[in-house]
Amino acid sequence: MKQYKPSQEVDYIIIGSGAAGGIMAKQLSTAGFSVVILEQGGWGKFGREQEYNKDEWLQRNLSDDDRLMSNPQTQRNTYRKTDKEKAVAGNHSYGCVVGGGTVTYGSSSWRHLPYEFHEASYDQTIPSGTGMADWPITYEELEPYYTQAEWETGISGLRVNSPFVAPMSKDYPVPPMPLKSSGALMKTAASKMGLTVVPGPLAIISEDYMGRKACVNCGICSGYGCQVRARSSSAVTVIPVAVKTGRCELRVKSYVREITVDNSGRATGVVYFDAQKREVHQKAKNVILSANGTESARLLLLSKSARFPDGLANSNGVVGKYVMFGNGASASALFEHPLNEYKGVISGAGIVDYVPSDPKRGFYGGGRMTARGYLTPLELGLNGLSPGSARWGVAYKKALREEANHRMTITCFVTQLPLETNRVDLDPDVKDDWGLPAMRITSSAHPDDVKNMEFFRQKSIEVLETAGAKKVWAPKVSESHGGAHNRGSCRMGNDPKTSVVDKFHKAHDVPNLFVVDGSNLVTGGRNHPTMTIQALAFRAAEHIIREAKNGTRRA
Amino acid sequence: MSTKGKSRRSFLIQSAGSLNAAWIAAHYHDILSAQQYASKSDLGGAPPKLAFFTAEQAAEIEAMADQIIPTDDTPGAKEARCLYFIDRALTTFAKKSQSVYTQGLVDLQAKTQQLYPNAGKFSALTSEQQIKVLTEIEKTPFFNLVRMHTVIGFFARPENGGNHDKVGWQLIGYDGSLNHKAPFGYYDAEYLKMSANRGGKI
Repeated sequence: MKQYKPSQEVDYIIIGSGAAGGIMAKQLSTAGFSVVILEQGGWGKFGREQEYNKDEWLQRNLSDDDRLMSNPQTQRNTYRKTDKEKAVAGNHSYGCVVGGGTVTYGSSSWRHLPYEFHEASYDQTIPSGTGMADWPITYEELEPYYTQAEWETGISGLRVNSPFVAPMSKDYPVPPMPLKSSGALMKTAASKMGLTVVPGPLAIISEDYMGRKACVNCGICSGYGCQVRARSSSAVTVIPVAVKTGRCELRVKSYVREITVDNSGRATGVVYFDAQKREVHQKAKNVILSANGTESARLLLLSKSARFPDGLANSNGVVGKYVMFGNGASASALFEHPLNEYKGVISGAGIVDYVPSDPKRGFYGGGRMTARGYLTPLELGLNGLSPGSARWGVAYKKALREEANHRMTITCFVTQLPLETNRVDLDPDVKDDWGLPAMRITSSAHPDDVKNMEFFRQKSIEVLETAGAKKVWAPKVSESHGGAHNRGSCRMGNDPKTSVVDKFHKAHDVPNLFVVDGSNLVTGGRNHPTMTIQALAFRAAEHIIREAKNGTRRA
Repeated sequence: MSTKGKSRRSFLIQSAGSLNAAWIAAHYHDILSAQQYASKSDLGGAPPKLAFFTAEQAAEIEAMADQIIPTDDTPGAKEARCLYFIDRALTTFAKKSQSVYTQGLVDLQAKTQQLYPNAGKFSALTSEQQIKVLTEIEKTPFFNLVRMHTVIGFFARPENGGNHDKVGWQLIGYDGSLNHKAPFGYYDAEYLKMSANRGGKI
C-alpha cells in the first residue's frame, strides 16, 4: 500500500472508512488524487475475511483488536433527555473498523422515497415547531447515484412498481435473497389485510458478483463480519479498489482530534492520535469528514480555533443539532411449525404500506415493517424465551424445545422528527480515553414519534395474529438515544444560516472541507440510512472531482 | 453502562443478559486459553480433570446445573458437561467470580440445612427437595451466575468447552452448520410448493 509522510500535503484526507468514506476514497483515488484515509478502528479481517469468527460466545467476548464496533467504555459518551438534566454515561456505539458499520450491519439498502426529500413543504401531518426541512436536492437528482451505489457495491433485491417503494431506473444487479418462513407468514397476513410485501433490498449478494461469492445463508449475520465476503461492505467493495490504485493509504487506529485551519480559514490537515496515542499532523489540501452522523459533528466542535471559536463550520451554531438515532417497534410470535429463522440473512421481507404518513392516523409518521431478528442458541438460552417462561428446570427445558425455531419477529423501522433540541455536543465534565471531551447526546422523542412507534407496535401484533400465531408479544416502545443509525447532525441546505454544508457537501464556512456521511441527512427517512448515504457519497465525489479538475479548488 | 458504585456481583448479574463485552474483553486471553483447553479436552471420551472445584464442590454444582437443565428423555446439563465448562471458566475468563461460587456454596449448604436439617448436602437431597432449595435462592447473584454459566456451557460451540457432543444444540434443533439452502422452514417450503402449483412466480 502507498505510504505518505505526514509532512507531505496530500490532496485529500478522508476521516472514516465506512459507507461514505470508502466510496469517497475509491472515487477520488481512481480519479488520480492522493488520498489518506484515517480510520479510528482497526483492520478487522480486511483482506482475510474468511477468518471472521462465527462463534457467538467468542463474538460476545472480543478483544480490543477484534472489535468491530466502538467501545463506549473508552470512546466514552453521555446521554440526557433534555438540557435541564445532567448527562449520565451513555452506550452509544457504532461500526468502528475498516469499512465502518457496513462490515456488520443488517444490510438493509432501502432508498429514500421521492417525497422524503420535500416532506416539510407538502406533508400536512407534520406538527409545527419541529426541525423538518426540505433537502436542497430532489430524488430525481440523486436517483442516478442510487443506481450507481447499488451496482458498484452490489445490492440484491427486486425492483417493484409500488407507490410505497422508490422508483428505480434500473434493476438491482442481483435478485433478492430467498424468501424465509417469516416472509411467507407475512405474505399470508398481508393477503388477508390487503398489504404489500416486498423482499428487502440488501447489501448481501444472492449470486456471485464482481469477483465475490454469493451468500451461503450461514445465519450468523448482523453483528458479525461476513466470512464469504457476500456482505457488500466498503471493506470488500470500494476500499480494495482505492488501495489498489497505489494512491490511497489507509491508516487504522488513527483517532482524529482536530481539523486544523490556517489564518485564511482554510483547512490544512488534521491532527490525530496514532495507535500509541502519539499526535500526528497530516497535511492535506482538502479534508473530507465521513466519521458518521454523530462523530463528524463532535469533531467539528472539537476543532476550535481563534477564527472558529465555537467549532469548525459552526458559525451559525447548527453543528450537532437535529441528530436522529433510529426509532423502532417490534413484536414477536410463536407459530405451530418450525420457521428456522436462524438460517439465512437477518433482514427478510418487508410490509411497505405504512411508509407514507397518513392524516387519518392523527400524527406524523411512517415506517417499514420488516421480518427481522432471530435467536442464536445462546440468545435463546440466556433470555430469549417468550415472556413468562420458566428460567430453569423442567419447564425451562420444555420451553426451549418448543420455542426454538418456531419464533419470528417483526422489526419496524420508522420515522423520527428532527428537533433542534436533539443534538450532539461536548460533555463539559467527561473525557474519553484520549483525554478529549466525550460526546454528549441530548435527545427526546417528539410525541408524534411515540404515537407512531405505538402504531407500528400494534400493527405488528395484528400482522402476526393474522398470520396465525399461537402466541404474540411486543415490548413497550422506547425512544432511541444512540446507535448505528445516527444521522442528521450536519444537515445540508442552501441557506448558510440554517445548514452546515451546501448541496455538494461543502462546509458553508470552509471552502476545502466536506462533510459526507449520515450527518448530512435533512430527514431521516424510514430509518434505513445507508443506501442514501452511499448515493450521496457518489454524488459528492463526482462534484468534488469536477471542481478540482476545472480548477475551482486546489487539489 | 457504568459499573461505578455497583458491586461486582450485581454487575455480573446485570451483564448476564448481554455478557458485558468490555468486562469480558479484559479476559480475552483467558477465554482463548479456555477455548484451547476445551478443544483439547472435548475431543476424547473422558471428561477433563477439575481445575477449580474440589470433588465435593463439584458434586454440588453439578447437582445445581442438573436442576437448571435437567436430564429427562433428552440430555441435560450433565451430558453437556456444563460442570467442566464452569470449572474451567472459574480458572480463566470468570476467575473473578471464584468468590461468588465459594461463598455461594457455603450459603447453599446453609439453606439446605435450614430446610432439611437431617440432610447432609444439597446433592444428597431428592430432586423435589433440591428444587425447593433452588426456588428459595433463585433470585441470588450466585444462582443467576450458575444459571448463566450452565446455559452458556450448554449452548456455546463445543470448541468452547461445553455442549459436549452438541447435546445442547440437538435439544433445540440447531446443527451448527454455516451453510444453508432454502427452503429454510415449514412456511417458506409451503409457500414455494403453493406457488409452484400455481405455476406462478414467487
